[in-house]
Amino acid sequence: MARDLAIDLGTANTLVYMKGRGIVLNEPSVIALNRQTGEVLATGREAWQMIGRTPGYIVAVRPLRGGAITDFEITERMIRLLLQRVGVSRFTRPKVVICVPSAITEVERRAVTDAARRAGAADANLIEQPMAAAIGADLPIDEPVGNMVIDIGGGTSETAVISLGGIVALEAVRVGSFDIDAAIQNFVRREHGIAIGERTAEEIKVAIGSADPTPDEHQAEVRGRDLMTGLPKTVLLTPEEVRYAIEDVVSSIVASVIRCLSKAPPELSQDFLVRGMFLVGGGGLLRGLAERIERETEVPVRMSNVPLEAVVLGAGHVIEHYDALKGMFMGARR
Amino acid sequence: MITAVIIAVFVVGVVAAALSAAARRDRRAPDDIASFRRQIDALSPEARRQTSDRMKPSERSASGDDGADDT
Repeated sequence: MARDLAIDLGTANTLVYMKGRGIVLNEPSVIALNRQTGEVLATGREAWQMIGRTPGYIVAVRPLRGGAITDFEITERMIRLLLQRVGVSRFTRPKVVICVPSAITEVERRAVTDAARRAGAADANLIEQPMAAAIGADLPIDEPVGNMVIDIGGGTSETAVISLGGIVALEAVRVGSFDIDAAIQNFVRREHGIAIGERTAEEIKVAIGSADPTPDEHQAEVRGRDLMTGLPKTVLLTPEEVRYAIEDVVSSIVASVIRCLSKAPPELSQDFLVRGMFLVGGGGLLRGLAERIERETEVPVRMSNVPLEAVVLGAGHVIEHYDALKGMFMGARR
Repeated sequence: MITAVIIAVFVVGVVAAALSAAARRDRRAPDDIASFRRQIDALSPEARRQTSDRMKPSERSASGDDGADDT
């Protein structure tokens, strides 16, 4: 008997929740392929370690960008391998709920459901990430009060106001923590003349990146390839420099939160002042981001207890109560 | 005579369709309320507790993980 699954198909990580069991898989959304034969060499964490370190005939790619499928065939193969790893076979075809950014187009929506069906799902339904995040973050969305959730992922940032089990206002931008990494990469190349890989840029963000000044700041040594000489080179990077590098991305995320606040009905707006906004998603872990949003919106920001797992946990809850909650799927309300 | 029969059949058909549409609308109203009620109940903290409890064992095992930072 197939156990139904919830999948958070994120730009950065893929998480799978199995009905009755909980989260059974949490790995980077990366697949490594042999470019010549098309053979899959590795997926998940193993493939992630190959990024930027592969010989010419191997390519380690993220098949999703900005929350959307950029390579349909590779995504389908990745979903098929994920389902195999959690025990789905030709004879056990589960129902699958997939979390997607709310701003995806009709074509992208169909691409995700088709990929899941071809990969072995008996039925595939989609749910908006902010809605799933609100359920997973334990917000009282069953009550007639304003719940605001900010989900900052790898490729998208979404803010939603939810009340009585439905989305009241929504704002999404295709900007996320990968854009922060890319901004750091560009800054180091432009200002210090050295090339660094995306994994190094991510390490810099985790080590000294911040959206607002924080106590205990320190410099970081960055190693890369000198663009002039081609030789390895080390430079010192300060937190101020990183803040300057990522300012455009951070301000675009904050602006989208402000736009969502302005769309909310006044009756719900007053709830935010008391209850605050909830921050989920890996991008929300950027130091000083909660404080920056709080300073610019004058609304308290609270971090979820499970920022990385909130989305898949919410979708998992939908799988556990499939018949009662199937009205929440994308398209079911329209 | 034939015309009268056709008109009568048409009128009966229209009345039957109208009655069945009205009956369906009456049935749908309480169904919508019931499914909304079921949805709200399934989103309650009590209903969600079981799902979030399933998170706890994996939360403990993930505490020593490499800390990937995005979803």
